[in-house]
Amino acid sequence: MMSVEPLQTALSCIRTLRSNVGVAFEALGNGIRSDHGEEGKETKFLFELQDLLTVVNNNLRDVEQSINNLQPPHNPFNLGNSGFLSHEYAQDRQALYSQLVQSYKWTDKVHEYCSLAHAQLSQNSLTRSYTNTSSAKRRKIQTSSHNVLPIHVDKVINQIERLLPEMNVNIQRPFASNVILHVSVGRVLKAIIAFKGLLIEWIIVRGFSESLDLWTESRFKVFRKVTENAHAAVMRFYMPTMPDVSVKNFLTWLHSFNTLFSDACKGCGLHLRNAMPPTWREFRTLEPYHEECKP
Amino acid sequence: MGVTIVQHYPMTENRTGPQVIEFLTKRVHAMGAAQAGPFLVDCETYNSAPAFGPPRTVHLLNNSEQPATVFSILESGQKQVPLVSDPLFMDLMKKLGSVYTCKQQTRMEAKGPRFEVADFLVKLGTVTMNANFKGVLVEVEYRPCLVPAACWELLREFMQGFLGTCVPNQPPSYLQNRMQDIYQPLDTIQQYLDQFREYRKAVTVR
Repeated sequence: MMSVEPLQTALSCIRTLRSNVGVAFEALGNGIRSDHGEEGKETKFLFELQDLLTVVNNNLRDVEQSINNLQPPHNPFNLGNSGFLSHEYAQDRQALYSQLVQSYKWTDKVHEYCSLAHAQLSQNSLTRSYTNTSSAKRRKIQTSSHNVLPIHVDKVINQIERLLPEMNVNIQRPFASNVILHVSVGRVLKAIIAFKGLLIEWIIVRGFSESLDLWTESRFKVFRKVTENAHAAVMRFYMPTMPDVSVKNFLTWLHSFNTLFSDACKGCGLHLRNAMPPTWREFRTLEPYHEECKP
Repeated sequence: MGVTIVQHYPMTENRTGPQVIEFLTKRVHAMGAAQAGPFLVDCETYNSAPAFGPPRTVHLLNNSEQPATVFSILESGQKQVPLVSDPLFMDLMKKLGSVYTCKQQTRMEAKGPRFEVADFLVKLGTVTMNANFKGVLVEVEYRPCLVPAACWELLREFMQGFLGTCVPNQPPSYLQNRMQDIYQPLDTIQQYLDQFREYRKAVTVR
């Protein structure tokens, strides 16, 4: 790529030249002014004009010099289809070129970051997708947890809902394939769970009076803590080979928060610790514990 | 809004109102509270003119938590009719001067500092009737919970923790019939009105 710097200096040289030529002609056009005084005003005016012209001369030399420093490109620019943009005559579309350059820079950057991220992630062994890395000769068909038929997902979730009396589940598919689950537990909490197939990707727990959305956390400290614990539970219950069991276990665990405010901690026997109710539920027994009391 | 309990804090012989508030403020701070502005609940009482049949009383209450709302409760005999309206209703009551007259001496007010402790909201109110000190009211709100039955035990533990034995083991009588309902701002107002009634009856500070 050609370096831009000499081009910039050449352009600024031309700008100076133009400005100084303008100054010279303006002085000439104004003629003799009152500040030249009475005595020998013609000679003073001539001297001033001479000075201005010398400056113009110097500028012109600079311009020539900087142009000599420029190297003409070896081959003509290949602008592809964007070359046709110069043919655009509609006024409001003439600014498209700079936007085009901007978005090109963007995509270039995205590409660069993607390749970096890919290199990083491929080293990370904590991936949750079940990939068969061993080159086994007998290839068994794996049960995949993130590529499940929508009907099957609906069936699994509806079955679970029937088992949990206080839980109200609403299945939504905003982007056709994957399920976003709106869950409410009693009159205590609401949760929004994003699935990929039958794999739980994301969960946010919020208060019963709050509106649900995937990205904002609850206003209340209690539900922020429960969200945090729910993320831990998603990891804990994750079973790649039996995705439906893992979803069932997780929802049963979430259902136990029906008594979030009314159950006392099994550890200390009190309701409150640091002004917080027991926000932790044991994974196996579903017993309530405070964050500080959990075994 | 969450479940709220309005609790009367009994005065002792040797303490003045500001001293009690200061004492409670220290305790609330010890629980890790952060001050979050002031609060004010006031109540004006209007009586119907004798020419209009059996006497009726209208209580007009304002709560700084719901600044754009006026709560009014009409009492006629044993019946109570609550009304939740715009602040303009205050002006309407003034226009009804010939029917309902306001007794200035019975204007009640509870105001004081407001604190946040995790998800709890604690308000320490000095109660005055027509600028005379009457006692101290403590309001505790647990904001995440909507059903009184679910969090009464938790609230009781919290309140007994910093107010001591003056907190009864039973919820306020007004709430006892509504333990399974979703809590409304009007329920707070009813509790305040019940407390204000008690203060009006009392001759000295409570």
